[in-house]
Amino acid sequence: MDFSFAQDQELIRKSAKEFFEKECPKDKVRELKEEPKGYDPNMWKKMAKLEFMGLVIPEEYGGTEGEFVDLMIFMEEIGRNIVPCPYFSTVVCCAMPVLEFGTDKQKKEILPKIAQKGEIWTLALTEESVSYEPEDIKLKADLDKDAYLLTGTKLFVSYANVAKKMLVVARTSENGNASDGITVFIVDAKTKGISIEVIPTTARDMRCEVKFDNVSISKENILGEAGKGWEVIDYLIQHASVLKAAEMSGGAQAVFELTTKYTKERIQFDKPIASFQAIQFRLVELLTEVESLKYLVHKAAWNINVGTSNRILNSIAKAKANSVYHRACYQGIVMHGAVGWTEEMDIGLYHLRTKSLEFDAGEADFHKEKIVCDLEQKEPLFLSLYK
Amino acid sequence: MDFQFTEREENFRQEIREFVKKNLPKDYYGNFLEEEHDDKSWEFAMSIAKKLAEKKWLTIAWPKEYGGMGASHMEQLIFKEEVGYWGIPGTTMGISGTGWVGPSLMIFGTKEQKEKYIPLIAAGDPDGVWCTGYSEPDSGSDLASLQTSAKREGDEYIINGQKVWTSAAHRARWLWLACKTDPTAKKKHHGISLVVVDMKSKGLTVRPLENLVGAHIFNELFFNDVRIPAENLVGVENKGWSQLMQALSFERGGAVTSCGVCKRILDELIIYTKETGLIKKSPIRQKLADIAVDIEAARILAYEADWKISKGMTVIYEPSRDKANCDVLFEKVSRIGTEIIGAYSQIDTLNSNNRWRKLKGMVQSLYFICMGMAIAAGTTDTQRNIVGQFGLHLPKAY
Repeated sequence: MDFSFAQDQELIRKSAKEFFEKECPKDKVRELKEEPKGYDPNMWKKMAKLEFMGLVIPEEYGGTEGEFVDLMIFMEEIGRNIVPCPYFSTVVCCAMPVLEFGTDKQKKEILPKIAQKGEIWTLALTEESVSYEPEDIKLKADLDKDAYLLTGTKLFVSYANVAKKMLVVARTSENGNASDGITVFIVDAKTKGISIEVIPTTARDMRCEVKFDNVSISKENILGEAGKGWEVIDYLIQHASVLKAAEMSGGAQAVFELTTKYTKERIQFDKPIASFQAIQFRLVELLTEVESLKYLVHKAAWNINVGTSNRILNSIAKAKANSVYHRACYQGIVMHGAVGWTEEMDIGLYHLRTKSLEFDAGEADFHKEKIVCDLEQKEPLFLSLYK
Repeated sequence: MDFQFTEREENFRQEIREFVKKNLPKDYYGNFLEEEHDDKSWEFAMSIAKKLAEKKWLTIAWPKEYGGMGASHMEQLIFKEEVGYWGIPGTTMGISGTGWVGPSLMIFGTKEQKEKYIPLIAAGDPDGVWCTGYSEPDSGSDLASLQTSAKREGDEYIINGQKVWTSAAHRARWLWLACKTDPTAKKKHHGISLVVVDMKSKGLTVRPLENLVGAHIFNELFFNDVRIPAENLVGVENKGWSQLMQALSFERGGAVTSCGVCKRILDELIIYTKETGLIKKSPIRQKLADIAVDIEAARILAYEADWKISKGMTVIYEPSRDKANCDVLFEKVSRIGTEIIGAYSQIDTLNSNNRWRKLKGMVQSLYFICMGMAIAAGTTDTQRNIVGQFGLHLPKAY
């Protein structure tokens, strides 16, 4: 058992932390709220130059061939610093599934552009129901000779407004189980018939409605196997839930730290408010929550890293992240008092992202259902011992 | 980073499970803090203690010179977790000796004290059973205000006063006692000492106290000119407070056992809800998932604290963090457990060996014991004070 990080992992954290502190201070986060692109292309270019995009992409495809834990560390730092950029949608939601399911040709064509040039990608998955269940994939893709024709609407697709390419999850067959007959398409965002509209959201992370009106996509542009797209999405959910939880863990840590600092400085009744038990107990409970989330994420990521991905743990990490992040922000703001409820304090910037983070890679109920499904399939230890 | 146990550690876990299979009946589950209640349970617990001692499992992380196994803290963690899961009785022998008296004596005891007391504890001997006298009627969370006095007279201390909530005093051979040796000390934390008292001493009266379900776990102790040899002083006279804090931090290291208990209850609930069909109901599923998340969260924190100890790092606030966290977990797991088994959860915990009982009685037992657990070794809020002060460096509130 070892809870500590290796030296090179600590270095990744340090370089990410220093980069974001310098390039993305909170004033910049506030400025980007008004920027129609939703990110800073200059910062994005620098991130690519520093090889952050290619953290888990093999060298032959232009990356630095790091480990999953490296990416987890990087996501924690993104969350800690609140970095408005399409990193999650590009690297986690697209580069990773392409790496896992792409043909050699696809990988050679796609991955170097992401790793080295920071080409922006996004995933068009959720629809009107905003759920992550296979039965809710309704966008139709009908085969017409050598091409599929896509028709339907995707919702809350992040950074579709600036994405060059997207992975689109569509239903190619109505037969069999809901998870059968789903196909993932690699789509150029400029293809005829696609229209994109930015949805105004609190995080300003460019959630878009993407409409497909008879969009023609060649058969070659399928990721993985036609009809077996849910395998891709399941893989994605397993990995994305841990990485989104890492982002939330970093954010919750930051919120906890700045709240603790504030309560030590704020004087009322001639004392720092941190000297009151009402505040102390809230802080202690929050510390416990934040620390447990941190280690749950580390453990889940480590398991993926060594090839023993644990579905229950991945879901536990995201379910826990959803409750801890909200709680940290809400409690943190209340402990700040009225000033915490203004635009002036940084803590509000974190809270504006709560719902964006919560519904990426699955909400708490979705993951809790997965946890119970897994638990009920396993034979508990106490029954197996006396056999 | 590495979140798995070594092969050796995993083998050790298997060895414990084999022990369970061999020595505990299939439907047995030793509920927390119940073995002291009746003679039959106590006898069984002590018989298991003897067997555990033969394997040196009562004293896994103790050095070999003290009769320990000389194994790592991680092996001790594994054992504690299995103890909770399987409800292995006899592991604490009245909850003081193996937990904190032994480890404290190793640090603060004289050569003679170590030789006299430690082997008896390690051997799982009835003469190695200890109880602990900290709380008094007017000194609970404010422990340093204790008044029981030990006055030095020649080669002896003469003890007068009263202790309360003394768990297992009716089973113990020795008492680990905190008392006031300097009533004139300017600060209340000064002037406190730790001494060893023979439970057979003249002038010492043990009066049973029943808890709210009628179980006899703790007692009142009355000291009327109880004489003990001066050599029974542990460590330095009047410097007992810091020794006591050390002993308490050992006492608070039980989080991983609590996680084992909760995991067992979760597993039992899964089977119960499958058999009854309750698991098909969405609210039940949510409840099960809720506690599954909380158990994993508590467990990873308990692991972190023990990992730090195993690496020789100083743990300052972690045991208190985890004690408070598991107090909350116990309440939640037992409450949800009772909600799931429904009206069956009202079966009397002391007369539960009947056909109406569900899950070996473990849910309602925990439901009524969880508040006791939240008080023992310092209340949940006392733990939070410690975390605030020593973990977050917040200004003192009181």
